[in-house]
Amino acid sequence: MHLIVQAAILGLLTGGVYALMASGLTLAFGVMRVINVAQGAMIVAGAYVSYTMFTQLQIDPFVSIVIMAPAAFVVGVAVQLVFLRPLRSDEREELSLLVTWAIALGIEGILGIFYQTTLRATRPSYVNDSLTLFGYDVSVVRLAAFAASCVILVLLYLMLQHTRFGRAIRATVQNPTAASLLGVESNRVAAYGFGISVATATAAGAVFGMITPFNAGSHYDLISRLLTIIVLGGMGSLGGAVIAALFMGMSEAILAVEMSPTWASLWFFVILVLVLLIRPQGLLGTPERGKL
Amino acid sequence: MNTRRNRFVVTVTVVVMAVIAAACGGGSSSSSGGSSASGKPLVIGISLSQSGDFSDPGHAAMLGYQLWADSVNKRGGVLGRKVVLKIVDDASDPNQAVTNYQTLITKDKVDLVFGPFSTLLTAPSARVASRYGYSFLEPAGGGQLVFDQKLHNVFFVQPAPTVNCGDPFVDYLSTLPASQRPKTAAYPTLDDPFATPIVERARAKLEALGVKTVYSQVYPAETADMTPIVAKMVAAKPDLIFGGTQSLDAYGIVNGLVQQHYNPKFLFLSNGANSAAEFPDKVGANNTEGILSCTDWFPELKTAGNAQFVSEYLAKYGGTADTIDGGSAEAYAVGQVLEQEAKKTGKVDNATIISTLHSGVWPTVEGNLSWDQYGAPTGSQLMTQWQSGKLVPVWPQATALAAPTSPKPPWGG
Repeated sequence: MHLIVQAAILGLLTGGVYALMASGLTLAFGVMRVINVAQGAMIVAGAYVSYTMFTQLQIDPFVSIVIMAPAAFVVGVAVQLVFLRPLRSDEREELSLLVTWAIALGIEGILGIFYQTTLRATRPSYVNDSLTLFGYDVSVVRLAAFAASCVILVLLYLMLQHTRFGRAIRATVQNPTAASLLGVESNRVAAYGFGISVATATAAGAVFGMITPFNAGSHYDLISRLLTIIVLGGMGSLGGAVIAALFMGMSEAILAVEMSPTWASLWFFVILVLVLLIRPQGLLGTPERGKL
Repeated sequence: MNTRRNRFVVTVTVVVMAVIAAACGGGSSSSSGGSSASGKPLVIGISLSQSGDFSDPGHAAMLGYQLWADSVNKRGGVLGRKVVLKIVDDASDPNQAVTNYQTLITKDKVDLVFGPFSTLLTAPSARVASRYGYSFLEPAGGGQLVFDQKLHNVFFVQPAPTVNCGDPFVDYLSTLPASQRPKTAAYPTLDDPFATPIVERARAKLEALGVKTVYSQVYPAETADMTPIVAKMVAAKPDLIFGGTQSLDAYGIVNGLVQQHYNPKFLFLSNGANSAAEFPDKVGANNTEGILSCTDWFPELKTAGNAQFVSEYLAKYGGTADTIDGGSAEAYAVGQVLEQEAKKTGKVDNATIISTLHSGVWPTVEGNLSWDQYGAPTGSQLMTQWQSGKLVPVWPQATALAAPTSPKPPWGG
């Protein structure tokens, strides 16, 4: 029993980080119907920037989030304006796959030129510190990463629920035509929404770089997991993405210790298939459109 | 509408072209050396990974090959023929490597070919070379897959096949008094054609020595988080952890053990812990002490031409000796073998190389090499250990630069 609880704690902390990674992806789909397969590459880019700030300027990775996120927001808005806005609205989902895939490969290529394929890891002095709470080992970095994810997700939630801009985003998600008729500038909402999505990706990247070594190719594995999470949670649903990420983290960890790591990965996909068969819109998604 | 659509098409086209340019950076072909006025140059074709997953080790191999070519050309070449390397990029893709060797042999009509990086590319490339009667001296294809093809033209220029990685460790344990040997062992193993055979072989030998297996787990390559695996392993309280690892999982195991406050008496990791440049960076320099691994080359080894290789390397490329990638030494050794063969026989044709190298001992920076009929080397790997923050060869005793220490000191010590 001790081992299961230990695994559940480890999985919960890991799941929290995945929730932050997936939040931007589900937001981009909810607001713009853009399936951003470059989200993994953007996370890895964030990890590299944070790594560079830490190794060159001795800026703590958690502090780097505060510096990177606004810059990433601007980059995200620019990417949306240049690459995504020109897409025809009736084919946006399909075309966004192609365009964001090209962006992902572009980011990977550029990172490869600057950093080669050598694995990098952001290692502040406390990276391997751990607390023993009630007999269970809890990694300080994972705990802090989990806390940072929670803070960012709560801020995101509050912004969506209690600000004028958040209401505009939710209105656009639920009915873009009606939102436009009521004066919501959907183009601006889409650009800002994508900017927020990229900002959360780079924030998640700073955390990711402390948890596991990475290189430019790490985004392939990341994006497959993240897409699975948002499909399971319900495309466009922030709450669904969080629940699915926590479920994935915990179920993988518990099954890894109780059965085997191979079954842990497979189990998640079995659940995914079952959910799609029984409830194709995912856990918290709505059949018509996303619901933030 | 048309204008908008055209703009979109142009945008996507530009992005795709930019991506292709970025992904393919580095060019596709290069050469080293120059033709001699006094004779026909000896052209050696090599496919190397200059992009993709193996671009770093591919680059290291290229440095080694080029260093040897420069060095031998300064000495007047091979039998008076200046060496010219024709190096082409395979983008870490086995199919491209096969195409490259096919082109080098049939279209470019190079005199000889040398091997690429990794078993994955070496195995199919060796078959191409065999089909055309070319010898295949190769620096980095040590997996069983290469030798199972039963080709007579292959020579793996390292002291031992990859699967023998744990042999010196088991040999060392067998010399310890029974009270100092581990009683129990855990075997976390990456599901990988290199890692799994190493563990299977070592486990059989360790169980024969009386070391009881208390944990054994094969995990898939896509395992993102090693901490649950480490948690279960720690619960079994093994004296020895023998990991069949590559790099990411090796780092994950060490970091997981540190975070879960478990310090085994022996920690052996088949790969990942044997990189002087990478390992301390990923686990913390103060957590490396006492960790064991295996390798094939060290800058301080007293092997044939090693001191000269190190000094030439530093003169040409800069840096320090401990940052030289072993892959450069392996590639350099390939050239050394060819040079010796030419000196011994007075010929550099493929048939002579193949028939000559199957017997005798060939001194290189990698040690004194000899091969069985299918190109598997018959020597021993080196067991390495982190001691006082440095990676040193500690077994077998004949080539060791320090004695192994046990048990492993506490983390952070």
